[in-house]
Amino acid sequence: MKILALFTIFVLIFGTTTFVNDAYAQNDLSILLRIATQADKQIQNQLYQVYGNEVPEKIQSLYTKGHTAVNSLEKSLPNDVKQTKKDFLTAMKLFKQISKMTSEPTVKVQITISHIDQSSQLDRLEKYVLMLKTISTRLNANIDFENIDNLLIKTRNQINDGTENPSENINQLKSLIKSIQKDIRESTSHSAFDRIKQFVDRQLDRIEKKLDKAEEIGADQNLINEAHELIDEIKTLIDKNQINDAKMVFHELNKLLKNIQYSIG
Amino acid sequence: MNPEIEQIHGEEFPGEYGMLFVRTDGIIDTMIRMPLLVASLIIVAAIIPIQPSFSSPRNLDLIIYPDGTTHVSSEIDVDPSNIDYELELFGSTIDNFVAINENGFLLNYDILGNFVLIETFGSSVITIEYDIHDLVSKQSRVWTFYLDAPSDFTLLFPKNSAIIGMTNLPLDMQLIDDQNQLTLSGGETEIDYLFSSPIISVPVEPIDSLSESNYFIYVIIGGIIVSAIVATIIRRKPRTTKLTQKQQITQVEPIDIETIFKLKPDIREDDKEIVKFISKNGGEALESELRKKFLQPRTTMWRAVKRLERNGIIEIEKKDLQNLVKLRKNMEEEE
Repeated sequence: MKILALFTIFVLIFGTTTFVNDAYAQNDLSILLRIATQADKQIQNQLYQVYGNEVPEKIQSLYTKGHTAVNSLEKSLPNDVKQTKKDFLTAMKLFKQISKMTSEPTVKVQITISHIDQSSQLDRLEKYVLMLKTISTRLNANIDFENIDNLLIKTRNQINDGTENPSENINQLKSLIKSIQKDIRESTSHSAFDRIKQFVDRQLDRIEKKLDKAEEIGADQNLINEAHELIDEIKTLIDKNQINDAKMVFHELNKLLKNIQYSIG
Repeated sequence: MNPEIEQIHGEEFPGEYGMLFVRTDGIIDTMIRMPLLVASLIIVAAIIPIQPSFSSPRNLDLIIYPDGTTHVSSEIDVDPSNIDYELELFGSTIDNFVAINENGFLLNYDILGNFVLIETFGSSVITIEYDIHDLVSKQSRVWTFYLDAPSDFTLLFPKNSAIIGMTNLPLDMQLIDDQNQLTLSGGETEIDYLFSSPIISVPVEPIDSLSESNYFIYVIIGGIIVSAIVATIIRRKPRTTKLTQKQQITQVEPIDIETIFKLKPDIREDDKEIVKFISKNGGEALESELRKKFLQPRTTMWRAVKRLERNGIIEIEKKDLQNLVKLRKNMEEEE
């Protein structure tokens, strides 16, 4: 009987959690109506702008179906969750179809660098600089951001005024960002090197232990010797701060370890 | 030394009529134990979410800029025993890439086509951020966002954009700094949006098909003239105008809420807040806006609105299938 009681408690706890989550999701169903109503209005507006009062019959029929689905969606809220979701998807798919049909004569354009809006581009660069500031502060890198801050303000003013072409300043900003990145790396290179060295030492230690075990159970001695040579090579390269070379040898070592493992069976 | 002999159920004597009474507790326990165990395991398996594995994003946030470029930000669990980590990006036109580990170290990386190889060197969590131009395309006025997401993600739309079509159900929607942010589930998602233009009420006058081109010229010229007049009026008589959700300029005379509260002293405190909000909103608000503002369920807000209507403080109008709640202007006269 104790088991029965425990089971009941278990089901109650998890069941309640699940129902609470469901209830939460259901509360948010009104967002579907908000999106669908907004889309309905925009489509109606778009149809008027494109066709005036002479909307093609096929499109009008699709719109009517979509609008009816939005009405049904409103009525099914908040109790009929299944119907709400169905109506939402029906309406949004129909509106999507209509928007595609009304845009058909024009060619679909993938956004490319040439389409990039300079104001948005500056927003992104500003966001990037902000991130570099956060990294710099966190790592105590002591980087001077004054120049780039001033240039950001200057470029923003240029864009707002619309008098000068900000392209040159945007390029300069990009170049400054690269230089700041480099400065951050240099100022934290010591800690970064320590981090890499610690990791490599830890990994090599683990690999050496594995090799000892492999040797005990009769793995190919030539392969084990080769692995030890690679370990020594990695250690030497790390001491010389030749990280990229060390990485390559590390990959080679990992491949060799797989072969050793395979030879043991 | 006369220990009391305890009767054991299993050794009970058969009854008068030779019937054998067996204690059933143990049998029931045995019979239900296994099915219960199995049922419990099934429930646990169904309820407990799958543990995130390496390479699965902990979170994925996307921001669409007005020019269609998308900023991607993601936190990913990586195997701390590896020296590097290869990640497939959402496209190949990448700008402003940055990768940092859990300690804030800038990680070296190498982008090759759609892939990036990040030197993790024992990091267990990495954060990557980049801008990408591959996720949004444009056809006429319609912008289309498409992503096959590896996990649930949030998507922030640009200001003044309106979603006009989508293939999936959103998990959530929030308004952040006048921008819509959707939470969407992983998998393929396609969303159409456009930059909203004011909703034009459909005129009753028929369009003269013969002079259609002239008509558009007249409309443009008329629009410019009207804009100029409106601009002059606004300049001469500065006044705060507010665009409603339907983006119609409404000119509602200021409503003195203190007078309302004086005339209706018994009004509930929470109802007063609603009245204040409607008043600040230019004297009218959609019931859905009130629900959003006061975070009230539909029925609660409906009751509150009905209460205010019964008190003669507001009137409800149906507008585009929604309830438009308006403060009554002639309340004082009625009193």
